Amino acid sequence: MKAEGTMIKTEELQINIGPQHPSTHGVFRMLVTVDGETIVDLKPVFGYLHRNHEQIAEVNTYLQNMPYTDRLDYFNSMANNQAYAMAVEKLAEIEVPERAEYIRVIMVELTRILNHASALGFLINDMGAWQTPLAFGMREREKILDLFESTSGARLMCNYFRFGGVVRDLPPDFVPRLQSLLTGLPTFIDEFERMLRENEILRIRSEGIGVLPKEVAISYSVTGPVLRGSGIPYDIRKAEPYSIYDRFDFDVPIGTVGDVYDRFLVRIEEMRQSKRILEQALKQLPDAEGGHINPKARQNIRPPVGDAYTRIESPKGELGFYLVSDGGQTPYRYKVRAPSFINLTPLSDMCRGYKVADVVVILGSIDIVMGEVDR
Amino acid sequence: MADVINHVLNTMLGLNAPEWLIIFISNSIAVTLIFAIAPLQMLFMTYFERRAIARMQDRLGPNRVGPKGIFQPVADGVKMFTKEDIVPTAADKMVHLLAPCVVAAPVMFMFAVIPWGPGMYAVDLDTGLLFFFAISSVSAVGLMMAGWASYNKFALLGAMRAVAQMVSYEVPALISIAVIVMLTNSMSIVSIIEAQSGLFISQVDVAGIPDLGLGWFIFSPVGLLGFICFFIAALAEGERTPFDIPEADSEIVAGYMTEYSGMKFALFFLAQYLLNFLLCAITVITFFGGWQGPGISWLWSMAVSEANPAGNPIFNVLAGILGTFYFLAKTYFFFFVMIWIRGAFPRLRVDQLMGFGWKFVIPLTIVNIFSASLWIGWIRWELNPDLAFLSALGEPYSFARWGFAFVATLVMNVAAYTLMTRINRSPDETIDELVADQVFGAVTLR
Repeated sequence: MKAEGTMIKTEELQINIGPQHPSTHGVFRMLVTVDGETIVDLKPVFGYLHRNHEQIAEVNTYLQNMPYTDRLDYFNSMANNQAYAMAVEKLAEIEVPERAEYIRVIMVELTRILNHASALGFLINDMGAWQTPLAFGMREREKILDLFESTSGARLMCNYFRFGGVVRDLPPDFVPRLQSLLTGLPTFIDEFERMLRENEILRIRSEGIGVLPKEVAISYSVTGPVLRGSGIPYDIRKAEPYSIYDRFDFDVPIGTVGDVYDRFLVRIEEMRQSKRILEQALKQLPDAEGGHINPKARQNIRPPVGDAYTRIESPKGELGFYLVSDGGQTPYRYKVRAPSFINLTPLSDMCRGYKVADVVVILGSIDIVMGEVDR
Repeated sequence: MADVINHVLNTMLGLNAPEWLIIFISNSIAVTLIFAIAPLQMLFMTYFERRAIARMQDRLGPNRVGPKGIFQPVADGVKMFTKEDIVPTAADKMVHLLAPCVVAAPVMFMFAVIPWGPGMYAVDLDTGLLFFFAISSVSAVGLMMAGWASYNKFALLGAMRAVAQMVSYEVPALISIAVIVMLTNSMSIVSIIEAQSGLFISQVDVAGIPDLGLGWFIFSPVGLLGFICFFIAALAEGERTPFDIPEADSEIVAGYMTEYSGMKFALFFLAQYLLNFLLCAITVITFFGGWQGPGISWLWSMAVSEANPAGNPIFNVLAGILGTFYFLAKTYFFFFVMIWIRGAFPRLRVDQLMGFGWKFVIPLTIVNIFSASLWIGWIRWELNPDLAFLSALGEPYSFARWGFAFVATLVMNVAAYTLMTRINRSPDETIDELVADQVFGAVTLR
């Protein structure tokens, strides 16, 4: 980095990017040591948004925690709901009816599309495109949020899942609306992909930036699109199929290099695969009236003594819930394995040697939500 | 301006006013107009930018204050005035205060040499272009002052970036403008515009076709490449996307403006938008004929001017209105292009910006200088005694030589462009190969 001899003596500078900064995606601080514009070291500091999530969950009843999980990763409340509901169902041995499983899969796959659409928009925004790609992504997200609103009554904090199913059945116009959304989706995805592949500025900003080699990714136990971008075909929907994912035919996209560009492409391809899953789920959706929840399932439960860990492939990676029950109304222990938090740990390895401008892009490519990182 | 006032006061009203009074009146009017029009341009530009970019992003943009939100900039101005002026405790207070003035003042100076229409200029300096660019680089000092005085690391980084960028992009900007100086033999902005009358490419009058005012330099290969290089450099000088690195909001908050609030911030903002306007204006002046356009020369031939003191001042006004319309229409078109780019592209990184400037734009502008010499050599061969015998070949050949000059410079410039794009890309790799590199391995585990 520094040539010896005739170079003017330079001094390293420490910069605080965050906790209040336009592109740290929340209250996140990076203590960056720079030599000119080059990153020498980076120390991620988090905890500014810590709100005692796990401890509070231990004094709430099981059902009271359901809306509370919405607040973890507020982009994907449906996925959080599913992971938690599955954990409680495993603990209390509750069965989920067929139709409810399909509704759950539809909701979570829609969540994946909206998460990736907005994450990619934010990523290009971090590269300096003035909000246009973000607006494109958000426009698609709005359509999906409208569907969520018609189903669950809320756009962001859906609180839609219950133990043994979902809180209410799909509204009558849901299926045709979803179908019309799916017909428009490929155009949007293709447009987004063209915007990346045919834009030279975007490519030189993302190719070869923030490379995360396979071995490093595994040793940090990174999951989700970041891991798959590094070339490891690990997707819990395939590796350990939960719910009814073994009935669907879909592919797991992987990258080759592990740079920002690969993560970008993986997310775009995942949106396509989610669309495939949605189409199959709509075709197979059972038509049983009232089958959206197991009628025998009590909501105010006291699960037997024991523990349960379930994990799902949330849009950001492996989202796990670990619950210990002492037979009481409230969980004895409640632990969240948050993908954003664990994916964030290799940040300093990914950033070292790149420029200041790359840091925000690399951070954006990990796709974190501080609500989940700090809990 | 002085001609018209002289005509109105002395010839029409018979007041017999002395010369100093006429000069005083004309200069006062010019200065007042500049100081009134410049901020108005800025107000309109912010509104225009917000509305245009909102349209690109499927939004409405400002639409509450006044019809279609046209008074939104006024409301913003009022807000800026009433905001608290925050100076960081550790800041160098004097420099912190002076920096916005040092940035904003030169930009107002630059308006002095801009002609808005035929005869509508404050001063016609013989070194107008040089003045324009010399003054524009003064603001780099102000940016560095702002960054240094703020005692903020983001501001310092932003200022360093801004100065590095402005200094390195002034080189291609000036070299591409030098081509125009070669073509016109003048640095006076007024005579550069006047040289762009006549017909496409040649600027020569052909019998039977009236002066359409379309002899813009953009229609020649030399002018085209010069324009491309100059506009890229102008984007960098004006800190516009994709070169808005000094104030990259997603990286270094607001760059050198981070620690400024209220009217001081507004001054930076004003300076930046006016600089953008002026850069668009100088693009239009040097490559797109400024106020030249169909009808101007016809109106101007009947107006009061040095060549025609007995003209009618009404035609001065008409020619002025039409010329200003052409000038502003072209200028705002280029400002729209700037907005368009902002709405579409992400920004480059600072090292990529430097590489692009020094490895791509500057070599191209230097090749363009050679093309320009070739072009001038061919179109002015009658001035060369060694080639004088060719003039004997007659009129058809004088058109053929334009054609030859056109083709030769076009080939030279296109070859240079292709070569530079090849050199600057990693060896043995085309865009398609790069795309093909990054294909998915779709894996099915079960």
